[in-house]
Amino acid sequence: MAYHNQYRPPHYNQAPPDQAFLWNIFQRVDKDRSGAISDTELQQALSNGTWTPFNPVTVRSIISMFDRENKGGVNFNEFAGVWKYITDWQNIFRTYDRDNSGFIDKNELKQALTGFGYRLSDQFYNTLIEKFDRQRKGQVAFDDFIQCCIVLQRLTDVFRRYDTDQDGWIQVSYEQYLSMVFNIV
Amino acid sequence: MSYGYGAAPGGQPGGFPGGFPGQQQDPLFGYFSAVAGQDGQISAEELQACLTQANFSGGYKPFNLETCRLMINMLDRDMSGQMGFNEFKELWAVMNGWKQHFMSIDRDMSGTVDAQEMNQAICSMGYRLSPQAMNIIVKRYSTHGKITFDDYVACCVKLRSLTDIFRRRDQAQQGAATFQYDDFIQCIMST
Repeated sequence: MAYHNQYRPPHYNQAPPDQAFLWNIFQRVDKDRSGAISDTELQQALSNGTWTPFNPVTVRSIISMFDRENKGGVNFNEFAGVWKYITDWQNIFRTYDRDNSGFIDKNELKQALTGFGYRLSDQFYNTLIEKFDRQRKGQVAFDDFIQCCIVLQRLTDVFRRYDTDQDGWIQVSYEQYLSMVFNIV
Repeated sequence: MSYGYGAAPGGQPGGFPGGFPGQQQDPLFGYFSAVAGQDGQISAEELQACLTQANFSGGYKPFNLETCRLMINMLDRDMSGQMGFNEFKELWAVMNGWKQHFMSIDRDMSGTVDAQEMNQAICSMGYRLSPQAMNIIVKRYSTHGKITFDDYVACCVKLRSLTDIFRRRDQAQQGAATFQYDDFIQCIMST
């Protein structure tokens, strides 16, 4: 496995949606009119394409990524980031879900992550599917796919922080190790 | 370090008059078969239904499915993702220990523990952690500053598996472990 290369999903260069369009969506999602979109509000607004509730853990991950003041939600400015983030993932997902099944199987997942620059062993993809396949179909849905990529990216980031000489090995104390892990998964 | 497994199971295998041979003597077996259904194995979903019904989480809320997966993985020696009777028996004993431990730290019987109570609980299981590490763990498992029983169990299971992993890579027992990138990612993902 290698992790030195670029390992982030590509950003799609599409024209940003205009403010009026976003404001319209924001207001519809912000059901209690608090001026901020909470986990629950975002979860209800999102669809994973399979008629099951959107993974609450993914929702939490996304909100916390954009919620700068730790208020437990995103305001309108931050929502623009959330919107772009999710549509980017949607485009990526569609690219790799070749049969349009709404699920990514092991081969498709492998192609996606290889495309991001990860070099992972074949057996490791089984572990990933096992871990992120919430619906027990042997494949991952859109929301679980995002979560899989987020976790993989965070673990890689935290590993890299300790791997100062970039040789692919780290030595950590018990406390460092626990903090690394509990901060992420 | 010792691990807080708590008390042994309450129920002893009953000696039925003219008893049945083997494991059928165990009063838990009937319960196990009812939960496991025809395949004789308990999946994460079946375990969730069973623990919810036994009201382990309190208030008849569904028991956290992710916690069920963690528990099955913890005891799953044949890596089947399912649980046979012996594994179930072991889990039942562990769960009862944890439940008792949880109730003993939940002094006001609210069904949840706060950060400080959780702190004491982790200490009393024999873990020696800095306040910083403790904070991270408590933050990870609490909702609005409170930790429910299923999150508490998830935390116990996770801490135990992670410590096992670390210890296996700390052969010299120096408190420092070496990980290669793929090994690290795989370990963390599989706990």
